Amino acid sequence: MNNRFSRVPDRNSTFTPHQDHAGSDAHRHSCHCFIIPHDVLERFAKDKKLSAKERQSFADAVRFEKEWRKVRTAQSRLARLACTMLPSGLAAAGPPAIAVYDCAHGTALPGTPVASPGSSSDATAKRAFVETSAVADFYQKLFSRNSVDNAGKTLLSSIHFSVNYNNAFWNGSQMTYGDGDGNIFVDFTKAKDVIAHELTHGVTEYSAGLGYSNQAGGLNESISDVFGSMFRQWRAKQDVTRADWLIGKEIMGPGAIARGYTCLRDMSKPSAKHCLAPQPTKFSQYYDGMDPHQSSGIPNLAFYKAAMAIGGKSWEKAGRIWYQALTGYAPSPNLKMRAFAKRTRTLAGRLFPAEPAVHTAIDQAWTAVGL
Amino acid sequence: MKLEADDRAKLQVERIGGLAGFGGVGTHVRSHGEVDMAALSAAEQRAVEALFQSRGMARTAQVGDGFRYRISRTTAAGVEHIEAPEAVVPAALSQCVKDELV
Repeated sequence: MNNRFSRVPDRNSTFTPHQDHAGSDAHRHSCHCFIIPHDVLERFAKDKKLSAKERQSFADAVRFEKEWRKVRTAQSRLARLACTMLPSGLAAAGPPAIAVYDCAHGTALPGTPVASPGSSSDATAKRAFVETSAVADFYQKLFSRNSVDNAGKTLLSSIHFSVNYNNAFWNGSQMTYGDGDGNIFVDFTKAKDVIAHELTHGVTEYSAGLGYSNQAGGLNESISDVFGSMFRQWRAKQDVTRADWLIGKEIMGPGAIARGYTCLRDMSKPSAKHCLAPQPTKFSQYYDGMDPHQSSGIPNLAFYKAAMAIGGKSWEKAGRIWYQALTGYAPSPNLKMRAFAKRTRTLAGRLFPAEPAVHTAIDQAWTAVGL
Repeated sequence: MKLEADDRAKLQVERIGGLAGFGGVGTHVRSHGEVDMAALSAAEQRAVEALFQSRGMARTAQVGDGFRYRISRTTAAGVEHIEAPEAVVPAALSQCVKDELV
């Protein structure tokens, strides 16, 4: 059970759960301990069908899981408290450290640290470092946010995860990127918006704390797409009319492109045929249980419409309003889309009182999608 | 319903979710596979049984864009389905699927 956790080189001294599919059964049990319900762990710890070693492993997990959850809850609470009580201290904290780890096609997280990733001969490592640093810069410069927790948490990315792995994800502690299978998808670090999308899941977790199902799940995914696209536009110095509003354009592989799929999603036309994963465009099409990657099309389209109506750079007005709606309220894991829309309508008037056109743009954008 | 031995011995596995929303309504990327229970180690068979017993361990930590797996098996009582996050699915199952465009 020694490698159940990896010590993250983090100024907040967090411990990170360690997934390990490739290791022994003991490893597999160790990764289970954070997500198996407590009662099931207890049942396994007493299950005579399991070996004594396996029962002990589950019993250890029961004890550790309790403590780990306490630590994690306290850590999130502390980060939020620091934001409200220690603004000067946070300002002095400096930018977050950026760490890149190499899974070398295994599934043990975080993998092996990459020395000097910014000058690595591995293009994936270099991209992960450069773009993650840029996302941190984006949040700092535009929104005065210091890392995902606004307290300088180290931003850790693992690359070359698994074999031909067609995904990237945020596991509650870090970003992880697959290399793609070379046909449907290519290396997931190639898309700037994907890197910002994953990191933004961290921002959401430490601010609104949105859940990952039903309407809150759709909002969670949409927030990641919105800030992912905004980051890509900011890097390219694009205004809203020059932006293509595509999500995942740079990770589409030759097989997908040959079939006419140019992106995962299109914020401007969520149901378009060129999207690998078309989405609904009206709230009337939403139903509970819908995958958040589908329901996110509704608020995605609202953001696009608002940004286009306001004009200029998406991060200057619409982005500020969305950021404040995400971070300026108490955590709301079950937030509904209509409540989020209401926040942005209120904030449009509060942040831009001399520009009623901003409120009108936001109001009409939500109305157009049925909210 | 009379079950063939082959039906009982096989698990149907579908990868869903992820950044691309695998398996969603209208989505053009799917991922399926099949595993013979007999090909799994004793520990893996126990892990699979535990997944079905706990209904896929539905109360799980949140993983943004994480894959989930829909696993089906046929028993004398009919077809059972569970959904489980990638972190709790034995590698023999999560690696049996093949991603494809549809």
